[in-house]
Amino acid sequence: MENIIEVKNITKAFPGIIANNDISLEIRRGEIYALLGENGAGKSTLMNILFGLYKPDRGDIILRGERVIISSPAHAASMSIGMVHQHFRLVEDFSIAENIVLGIEPKHRFLGILPYVGMTSVNRKIAQLSRDLGLDVDPEMKVSDAGVSIRQRVEILKMLYRNAEILIFDEPTAMLAPQEIAYLLKILKNLKEQGKTIILITHKLSEVKEIADRCGILNRGRLIGVYDVASTSASDMAAYMVGRELDDELPPPPQDFGDVVLDVSNMSVAQRGLKCVDDVSFSVRAGEVFAIAGVDGNGQKELADALAGLIDVSGGSIMLSGQDMTRASVRQRIEAGLSYVPEDRHGIGLILDFPLRHNLALRRYYVSPFCVNGVFKESVFDDFSTGLIENFDIRCGQGGHTVTRSMSGGNQQKAIVAREIELASKLMIFVQPTRGLDIGATRAIHKHIMRQREAGHAIFLISMELDEIRVLADTIGVIYDGRINRIAPARELSTEEIGEYMMGVKV
Amino acid sequence: MDTVFIDGLSYGIPLLCIAIGGIYSERSGIINLALEGLLGMGAFTGSLFVAFFGGFFVQHSSVPMYFAFLFAMIGGALFAMLHGLLCVKLKANQVISGVVINILAIAFTGFFTRQLNSQVFGQPSDRINLGVSVRFDIPFLSDIPIIGAAFQRVYPFQLVIIAVVVLSWYLLYKTRFGMRLRACGDNPHAVDGAGISVAKTRFVAVMISGALAGLGGMSYAYSIAASFSPGIYMGTGYLAIAALIFGNWRIMPTVAACMLFGFARSGGQRLSHLLELPASYSDLIFTLPYVVTLLVLIFFSKSNKAPRALGEIYDKGKR
Repeated sequence: MENIIEVKNITKAFPGIIANNDISLEIRRGEIYALLGENGAGKSTLMNILFGLYKPDRGDIILRGERVIISSPAHAASMSIGMVHQHFRLVEDFSIAENIVLGIEPKHRFLGILPYVGMTSVNRKIAQLSRDLGLDVDPEMKVSDAGVSIRQRVEILKMLYRNAEILIFDEPTAMLAPQEIAYLLKILKNLKEQGKTIILITHKLSEVKEIADRCGILNRGRLIGVYDVASTSASDMAAYMVGRELDDELPPPPQDFGDVVLDVSNMSVAQRGLKCVDDVSFSVRAGEVFAIAGVDGNGQKELADALAGLIDVSGGSIMLSGQDMTRASVRQRIEAGLSYVPEDRHGIGLILDFPLRHNLALRRYYVSPFCVNGVFKESVFDDFSTGLIENFDIRCGQGGHTVTRSMSGGNQQKAIVAREIELASKLMIFVQPTRGLDIGATRAIHKHIMRQREAGHAIFLISMELDEIRVLADTIGVIYDGRINRIAPARELSTEEIGEYMMGVKV
Repeated sequence: MDTVFIDGLSYGIPLLCIAIGGIYSERSGIINLALEGLLGMGAFTGSLFVAFFGGFFVQHSSVPMYFAFLFAMIGGALFAMLHGLLCVKLKANQVISGVVINILAIAFTGFFTRQLNSQVFGQPSDRINLGVSVRFDIPFLSDIPIIGAAFQRVYPFQLVIIAVVVLSWYLLYKTRFGMRLRACGDNPHAVDGAGISVAKTRFVAVMISGALAGLGGMSYAYSIAASFSPGIYMGTGYLAIAALIFGNWRIMPTVAACMLFGFARSGGQRLSHLLELPASYSDLIFTLPYVVTLLVLIFFSKSNKAPRALGEIYDKGKR
């Protein structure tokens, strides 16, 4: 089969890092080509070069046999290259159809003079396109009313409406539930059958195995190799990807649980008049990892924030080691033994413009020995941060004095985890602790969590990644629409069953 | 009762024009606190035309007035380019830019009005006299009992502004330009991804905003103020911002808000008349629209939905 697009010796450097180092790839017409690699391996940079967002320092792009220079996304679109970014670019206030035609709106004339944008024919065309591909999208629906999965399909339609032939997907399954992932993979297969060429950026091996024809593996900006998916095992691919052999992660070994540390009964949380956590009850014991599984936006964030004291509950009670914490302030809860690793690490986890040593001491800065008679002891901050940086392997350019914003996402997360674990609280809450992290950093954080479990701390984990829950959880609660519909020991629940509760198929 | 209608509309309709101008800018994502300064700069530019060229026309001719309106729009649009330059091109803070433009406009127009009067016309004064525009009754409609008052003693600019409002609705909701403008205020990344220049669209929106503010300001100069003077800066620009926020950045609710403010003002004047309050109380009465604004904002601000990208500086590289 002919090559539809080739990149030859592409090199792209950013200050301090070579994101792409002499990469050459050939992508054949009509195949699904997966680009595998850890975070920071250079996948997104390479695709952004193809999409005209970055200019390569060196190297050529050959499209349908001709050397081209892609100057902008609009230019890429005109050469029938389309891309679905991880963060969708949609106008929420517009209908789906209006989003799709933005930039190429059909112009009609009223009475032959007044120009206007006619949506009727567009709506019909998009409905047709959506039916042909099994996308199930209502063109007149407002994007603000659409969920993640629908929004993604709108982005797909946007490319198809512009007659794109090369479709680039940047981590398309990161925010989807298992059933939605299956649906998306089916759509990708349909697109392939229609003769489209698909480039799939991912770090999920199962998806590559399921739909890709070939895969290119990147590691630290270099192309490790191109493999035929059918004849390469998943564990080999994983090893190439991280550049070392991986020991398989196993579910947690059985362990005896201690006393109940966190006891939540009939708790409800209302935000802006809407009940987002609805009458939930559960308890977490010492030495137990209690995990909440669910699709994003089903009340997990509010549940965690209410436990941490960031938002008020509208009903029910929260008991921490027998003490009533329902109305306690954040600081009272911390001092009573609660650690919190929030989902939004930039918003509430860190003060990005502060140096690392201050961020690491955020829970303790106001007490002795950090602060004596209202004055900071700088040397204590230094020693404290140096210790945590070593113990938790936080990579930072200038030690404790590194500005937190300049650190990579993985190391920022390690810093939060280090700070919260150091408190040695009875209860530790982790929300999406490994979101956006690569395999290496994820493993490190999982190890820390398991060590705390062995040390007899109660762990409350919220995650959208079922794989993560499978390797960490002793007990699983599945949340759907603010309700925890099923709580059971992890080994009694199959992944399929969890999926059904997550999607509200079973309640 | 009739005067309440007539005065309410003659105040409320120019206010609406300024608020619609604000909608253009804010729906494209640029906060426009500069409306107050823009209406003054517009009215000043229009008045300059009359001061210099008014004498060439037949006495009591309305022609210079129409030219004045044209120049007011041009002046407002040109001065708005400064806001566009600061906010769009130089990525300055939009609130600060707006406030600075207001202060600059007051100082600039005040200074030049005084200089012009003393140096060119030899009469030290801080105003350029314009007189009051002609008014007329709309046939038939003005004969309807009660609501007919809305069609009596109408200023020509009121009709122009109503046409501008209808045109704005059409432009914002029915055309390519309007769609892209609104998209810029919601998610500029989507606009950029579609190959449309966010900067250009926003710049044009800010210029239209200045032109409409200028038109509104000139209307006051030819009605309530009967001149151009520092008295033109009576906070109408800020009231227009309140009106468009209360109107949820949409045209029809903003029309309602402006009418409410207009009638609050004329109703208050009528009330002070009925109660036979001394003239010194009129200042207090003029605060009525603002008091109404406060009350209205307390009750309605919860349901407010500002354009999502309002005030956000758009940077291509940032994702």
